[in-house]
Amino acid sequence: MSTTKLTGHAALNRVLASELAADRRALIMGETVRLGGSTRTVLRGLYDRFGPRQVIETPVSENGIFGAALGLALSGYRPIVEIYTADFLLVVANEIMGDIAKWRQQQALPGPLPIVIRGCTGPGMEGALGSEHSQAMEGFFHHEPGLVIVTPGTPRDMAGLLRASLRSPDPVIFLEHRRIYEMTGEVPDDEGFMIELGSAEIVHPGNDVTLVAWSWMRSEAENAVRVLDQEGISVELIDPRTIRPMDHAAIARSVARTGRLLVVEEGTRTGGVAPEVLVRAVESAAKPIRIARVTTPDVILPYSPTLELPLYPNAKTIAEAVRRLVASDRSAAPVAAA
Amino acid sequence: MFLGKNSTEQMGLEELTSAYRLMALSRRFDERMGELNRRGVPVPHYHSGIGQEALMVAAVMPLRRTDQMIYTHRGYGHLLAKGISLREIVLDLFMKAGGTNQGMGGVMHVNRPDLGVPGREGAFGSRFAIAAGLALAAKLDGRDDVAVCFYGEAAGARGILYEALNMAVLWKLPVVYIAEHNGWSVSSRTEWLYPEGSMSRVWRGFEIPVEVVDGNDSETVFTAVSRAVSHARAGNGPSVVEGLTYRIEPHIWKDKAAYQPSEEIELWRARDPLLRAAKRLIEFGAGKDEIQSIENWADAEVERAFAALETAPDATWDDARRQMETQ
Repeated sequence: MSTTKLTGHAALNRVLASELAADRRALIMGETVRLGGSTRTVLRGLYDRFGPRQVIETPVSENGIFGAALGLALSGYRPIVEIYTADFLLVVANEIMGDIAKWRQQQALPGPLPIVIRGCTGPGMEGALGSEHSQAMEGFFHHEPGLVIVTPGTPRDMAGLLRASLRSPDPVIFLEHRRIYEMTGEVPDDEGFMIELGSAEIVHPGNDVTLVAWSWMRSEAENAVRVLDQEGISVELIDPRTIRPMDHAAIARSVARTGRLLVVEEGTRTGGVAPEVLVRAVESAAKPIRIARVTTPDVILPYSPTLELPLYPNAKTIAEAVRRLVASDRSAAPVAAA
Repeated sequence: MFLGKNSTEQMGLEELTSAYRLMALSRRFDERMGELNRRGVPVPHYHSGIGQEALMVAAVMPLRRTDQMIYTHRGYGHLLAKGISLREIVLDLFMKAGGTNQGMGGVMHVNRPDLGVPGREGAFGSRFAIAAGLALAAKLDGRDDVAVCFYGEAAGARGILYEALNMAVLWKLPVVYIAEHNGWSVSSRTEWLYPEGSMSRVWRGFEIPVEVVDGNDSETVFTAVSRAVSHARAGNGPSVVEGLTYRIEPHIWKDKAAYQPSEEIELWRARDPLLRAAKRLIEFGAGKDEIQSIENWADAEVERAFAALETAPDATWDDARRQMETQ
C-alpha cells in the first residue's frame, strides 16, 4: 500500500476532500469555513472546489449550527460540523447531548444519524492557549451514552479515523489535537483507508507495565517508553484511539499479562476518562492489579504558557509514574498505587 | 385525507369540515384525558390542548405530507392533522407497544418521518434551528417543501430563536414559525415574559412577514399560514404567524392552576374555536345533523383508540430494538 508523508492538517484535508467528492450529501458547515476554518489549513481549498452547497459558511451561532445540522441529518445529509475550538462544544452541550445523541432512541428511529463534529483541542506547538481554548474535551462528553468520541494521535490515525467517522451511522465528536496538526507521518493513499472505531492499537509491545495514552499523550508516552526500555522496564503502550467506544478488552488482555496499568490523560484529574479505564480494568481483572494515572491537576488552565505548559503530563512525568508503579511491588503497596 | 388542501388560501365548506373533524377529535381526546385525571389516574407528560384546537389544526392543514412539522408538547391536533392516528398517540402516551416510539420517548417524542413529523427535541428551543436545518435540506435538494415550527412561550424566550432566525433570513429558508400565544408559560403570564406580551415582535427587525392573528378562528389561521407557506414554497424565505389563543386547562396533570382566574377561563370558553367553527359551518350550509355526526365520529374514534390501549402490552426494549433495526 503506497503512503505519503503528510502533516495532520494535510491528512485531514485530503480525507475531507475525497469524502465530499464521493458523496454530494456530505457537507461541511461552521464558522470561517469558507476561508479554511479555524485552523486555516484543514479546510483549505474545499470551498473553492466544492462550493457553497457543500461548504456552508455560518454565522457565529453554535446552537443554531448544531440544531440545523440535526435537521440536515434527519433529511438524509451528512453534516460535518466544525466548532471553532473544541472548548466551545460546551456552548452546544444541549444540542449535542440533549438532542443529537438521544434523538434516534427517543424517537425509536431506524437508520443512521451521521453527524461528525470536528474541533481542535489541546495546547499548540508554540505555547498554551488558556482555559477556553486548550482544554482536553473528551472528559466532558464521555459520560453521554449516545456519542462516539474519537481522539487520533498521529496523522495516519487522523486520516483513518476521520474516514471511519464520516462513514459511521452514528454521531461522532472528532477531537483534533493542535500538536498533531503539525506532526508529520506516513499516511496511506488508499481512498478506502479506514481504522475501525473502537479498536485500540498496540503502539509498543511490552511485559512489565500496560500504559494507555491517546491523542498527543501518545507521543509523550512513546518518548517515555524509549527511555524506560533502556532502563530495562518493558512497557506495552496502547492507544485506544476512541474514547467511546473504549477498547477495554484490548487493555484487559494486556493487563492480564503485565498486572500493572498506568493511564495518561491530558485532561484534569477528577471525573475524567482515566478513572473509568482504571476501574474497568480492576473490575475485569482475574487477580489484583496495580494501577496509577498521570493527569493534568485539577486547575483552571492559566493563559500564561509558562504557567500552563508544565501542568500537562509529559514523557518525564510519565516515565517517573511507570517507575513508581514498578517499584511499588517491592514495597508491598496496596492495590491502587500512587 | 385531511392534507393537500393548499390550492386556496380560503377555507371552503370542505376544508372547514375537515378542520372541524380534527378539532373535535382533539377535543374529545382531551376531555377523555381530563376524565381520567379527575378519577386520579396519573397521566405523565400529557398536556391538554383544550381551547387551542384551531391554531393546532388549521395551521397544519395547508401542509403537504412531505412538508416537515415540529409540534409543541401541548395538544395533539398538530399530530392528528399531519396524519398520525390517535391510536398511535394514545399508545405512546401510555408507553405501550405499537405507538411510534415503543416507550423510548412517550408522547413527548411522537414521530412519523414518513408523514413529515421527524420528532421533537429534548429541552425546548433547539426546534428553531432543527426546523431551519430541515428547511435548508429542502432547499439544497431543490424541493419546494417547507418546514413549519410551532413554539410556545418557553421555547420562544431562548436565544437559539435569534440564531435560527438569522440563518433562516440569511439563507432565505422555506420555514414558517408559528407562535402559540396561549397566555401562559406554566404559571407565568405571557406579558411577564415578553415586552407588551408579544411573542412575535422579536422577529420584526428582519422585515420578514410577521402576522398576529386570532388563533381561535380556524379560517383566519388557515389563511395566514397558507400565505406563509406559499411565500416559503415560492423561495421567498421565512415568515412568522403568532396565533392568540388561551390555555383553558392547567399546564400539566398535577397542576391545579389556581393561578388562572375563573373569569378569564370563562371569557375564553366563550371564544371556543369549536363553537365558532360550528357556527361557520352552519353559515356555509352544513346541517346540524352533519355536525352531530362529526361529534359522534370523534367519540367513536376516541373509544377505538382507548380500546386499543386496553389490549396493548407495555412497550419493551425488544419492541424498540426491533423498530430501530428493521423499519
